[in-house]
Amino acid sequence: MSSQNSRSIKSLLLRHEVLLVLVLVLEIFYFLNNARNFGTPDNLSNIVRHSAEIGLLALAMMPVILTGGIDLSVGSLLGLCAVLFGVMTHDWHWATLPAAFVTILLGGLAGAFNATLITALRLPPLIVTLGTYSLFRGLAEAITQGTKTYRSFDPGFLGLGEFRFLGLPLQGWVLGFAALFFGILVHLTVFGRSFRAIGYSPEGTRYAGIPVLRRTAMPYILAGLTAAVAALLFTARLQQARADAGTGYELAAITAVVLGGTSIFGGSGTVYGTLTGIAAIAILSNGISRVPAVLKAGIGGELASLLTGALLLLALAAPALVRLLQSARKQPTT
Amino acid sequence: MKRSQFLALLAAPAFAFLPGCGKSGDAASAPGGSVEKRLTIAFLPKSKGNRYFSTCEKGARAAAEELKVDFLFDGPTNTDPAKQNEIVENWITLGVDVIAVACENREGISGALKKAQAKGIKVVTFDSDTTPDARSFFVNEATDEGIGHALMDGAAQLCGEEGEFALICATLTAANQNQWRKQIEARLAAKYPKMKLVDSKPCDDQKDKAQQEATNLLSAYPNLKCIMAICSPAVPGAAEAVKQAGKSGAVKIIGLGLPSENRAYVKEGVTQSLILWNVEDLGYLAVQTAYAVANGTLKAGDKTMKAGRLNEVEIDGTSVLLGKPFVFTKDNIDQFQF
Amino acid sequence: MNRYFRELSVTGALVLLLAVLAIWAPHFYQPQPLLSRFTAQTPALILTIGMTLVMIVRQIDISVGAQFGVCAVVAGLISASGAPLIVALAAALAAGAIMGALNGVLIAWMGLPSIVVSLATMVTWAELLRLFQQGKFINLPANVQWFGLSQSAGQQGLIFGSVLLLAGVSWLLKNRSGGRHIYAVGSDAEAARLAGINPKLTTFTVFVIMGTLAGLAAVLNMVQSPQVDPKCGVALELRAIAAAVVGGVAVSGGRGRLWGSFAGLLLLATINPALTFLHVEAYWEKAIQGLVILLAVIADGLRSRRQTS
Repeated sequence: MSSQNSRSIKSLLLRHEVLLVLVLVLEIFYFLNNARNFGTPDNLSNIVRHSAEIGLLALAMMPVILTGGIDLSVGSLLGLCAVLFGVMTHDWHWATLPAAFVTILLGGLAGAFNATLITALRLPPLIVTLGTYSLFRGLAEAITQGTKTYRSFDPGFLGLGEFRFLGLPLQGWVLGFAALFFGILVHLTVFGRSFRAIGYSPEGTRYAGIPVLRRTAMPYILAGLTAAVAALLFTARLQQARADAGTGYELAAITAVVLGGTSIFGGSGTVYGTLTGIAAIAILSNGISRVPAVLKAGIGGELASLLTGALLLLALAAPALVRLLQSARKQPTT
Repeated sequence: MKRSQFLALLAAPAFAFLPGCGKSGDAASAPGGSVEKRLTIAFLPKSKGNRYFSTCEKGARAAAEELKVDFLFDGPTNTDPAKQNEIVENWITLGVDVIAVACENREGISGALKKAQAKGIKVVTFDSDTTPDARSFFVNEATDEGIGHALMDGAAQLCGEEGEFALICATLTAANQNQWRKQIEARLAAKYPKMKLVDSKPCDDQKDKAQQEATNLLSAYPNLKCIMAICSPAVPGAAEAVKQAGKSGAVKIIGLGLPSENRAYVKEGVTQSLILWNVEDLGYLAVQTAYAVANGTLKAGDKTMKAGRLNEVEIDGTSVLLGKPFVFTKDNIDQFQF
Repeated sequence: MNRYFRELSVTGALVLLLAVLAIWAPHFYQPQPLLSRFTAQTPALILTIGMTLVMIVRQIDISVGAQFGVCAVVAGLISASGAPLIVALAAALAAGAIMGALNGVLIAWMGLPSIVVSLATMVTWAELLRLFQQGKFINLPANVQWFGLSQSAGQQGLIFGSVLLLAGVSWLLKNRSGGRHIYAVGSDAEAARLAGINPKLTTFTVFVIMGTLAGLAAVLNMVQSPQVDPKCGVALELRAIAAAVVGGVAVSGGRGRLWGSFAGLLLLATINPALTFLHVEAYWEKAIQGLVILLAVIADGLRSRRQTS
């Protein structure tokens, strides 16, 4: 009994998410002691505001990866949605609210386009979204002829970029709401649990009577909707809409999801793990640029990327390393 | 950063991770008890890992050393247009005294800079400006108008004011490139009715891509008389394409580029006109201006300022003038090492 | 016909595009610029060969662009110091092989997912390269360009060598046991293991080959101009992956032919000049490339659906 208990504690400790929380705590502890003005309320609010768009994309990416898929098009779609929003508010003189609503709708439609190709034609998600990665960005560039920037939005809308409620920036509330939504969807609904089952074994899930294709489509549509919401946040924060919005965000989102313990092959992962992954990356890149020695050398940006890459590799390799150690320890006794 | 410092810099963060070590080496946050508080100047280029801005950084570091200020340097390492804003917002909470920034995005960054000003942080811009209400001074190497006119007039002169020319830029979305293109097109429409801009191509800030684009342009437009390259990797790229096509001298090249990357082509006569200001001095003057603004020695309305090794520098309104851009030729290009 | 559906349809699309150019933009076929254009694609072709192998073995490598950049700077610095080209080539190949081996160890022996591993190594190489070189161009001695030969001889040599390599690897893939092992491991690693193949060793070897080819590609790029731009590898991985995908290599592994990838690369590489020659604005390029990728896979999907139903 007691040995069973200790084993379960040990396996709990080896759980990816728990290790990641430990990393997060270490990061925070280290930066509180060594990084300049890290723990100030203004800086904490910076961290939330700066990571909101990538965070949203990561939360939406998580169910996609859970089903064994991937969506490389979310960053480009963010750019396309930002441009479309600009077209509606500026060229067509729509009011902000209907324009925002239609933008989100179009984001969902773009997600549905991915979903249709992936499910109806059974094409590999990596390739489909590699194509739409190029297509969506290309459309954004074509619409703006590459050069046009939409500026001077409605002041009320731009205010959202700086808006705070109960001390937390709006971005934090949106991120929290999205985390709650995806958390409930993935972990508490039968519908969402099937994502995991599909990722684990699509054939088995089909035999269990679950409409695999229809369920696989849903995460891509949600990713499209989320990318549109992120586009609105991005536009409000930067006070402009241009075709290059969200460049490279797809890889940052995937990094957060994988760091958060979701298997890139699908079938396992948690939303709170993803949330921890987002936090670990955001805090690392904010904090490392405040460490005096790094500040002095002027290498904050590069170091943040390098350390994120190293963390990602470590997180992936940790289970394999533990297994190696265990088998090495076992061998002498047998 | 010199390459010799590379390993030392890689080691620095490793030491920083030892608890306490970072703190003891922290001159920047040392309480201003014994000596007067050192000024902190934060320097933000448009992008990192770029020869133009690493040259700027060299000059800026030299000025910081002369003035005995703490010098912070960071910048975007990718093409995320939000990155500069994030760095400025982080510097606000870090507590710097002055921010010197080369704006990637004229309007986009103004909100963040105004936030900094509201917190009592002085802002100066260099290389490319933001909106005038978001900074106190702009260290001006050349105005958009000045650059646009110099390039267009130069191209017109090379072509005898008539014929076709093409343009190669960095990316389609780069804000300051677009400002220049606008000025070039305006000048073209106003002064050179017999010239025609047949095509504009982006080269993604890569020399090899510029070379391929130029190769295509040369054969797609057989009457092309000139290629105008408005980002620094595009100039040697276009030159190599013209050379390989055997059209050296027949198709002229004018561009904004670094002497070190174009020396051979200028000497061989492939590239006729290379324009640039002294980039190292630009960084140097930016830090000097930032220092003077923070100390209160430079105020609105001043007509000149003292800037260390550059001596007296003229000021026009709120623009600190670096002086006229150089036109590099066969005869003088060897004098410039950047 | 059916067996080669994908390769033939891509070749067909390429021929169509070339025909359009022949009618509306005959300038496209001027021999010297055509030779230059083709030569400029040889580094991408070498990378595409490697990427095809990687994808056949059911992996992916998004770090090749960064590897290419590192190898280019290694070769450039060595050439600039006055060492003979062969030394620079050896160093670039070695650097590539080491970076490939690192990917290989993590992916083959530790069983980590290639997309994430190569994402992490991509970031690592790219950032280290930026810190080290600071975007500074490397000026090369005069005898490096075109191997010290004349321009046309150098260009023909590069094209001949790359196509020869393509044909050679293609033959090896089809006719030698090592090549067949790659297909076997890609379609079913467990079955391959039971058949006596070592899947880990095969996968590892493929990543080492990929890295070595990245080194070779970097040198072939270097000899085309008198300077090395340290940013020369940026986004090259996407070009190689897209070429392989359009050319019919399956991401699910075990399927694909090198000449298909070759046709895919030529198709994608012709779009850009075609826009210039047909006077289409540059801002359409990305959208059209995306559309070509999608059309290629949609055609595939529709066909396999008709077959199953």
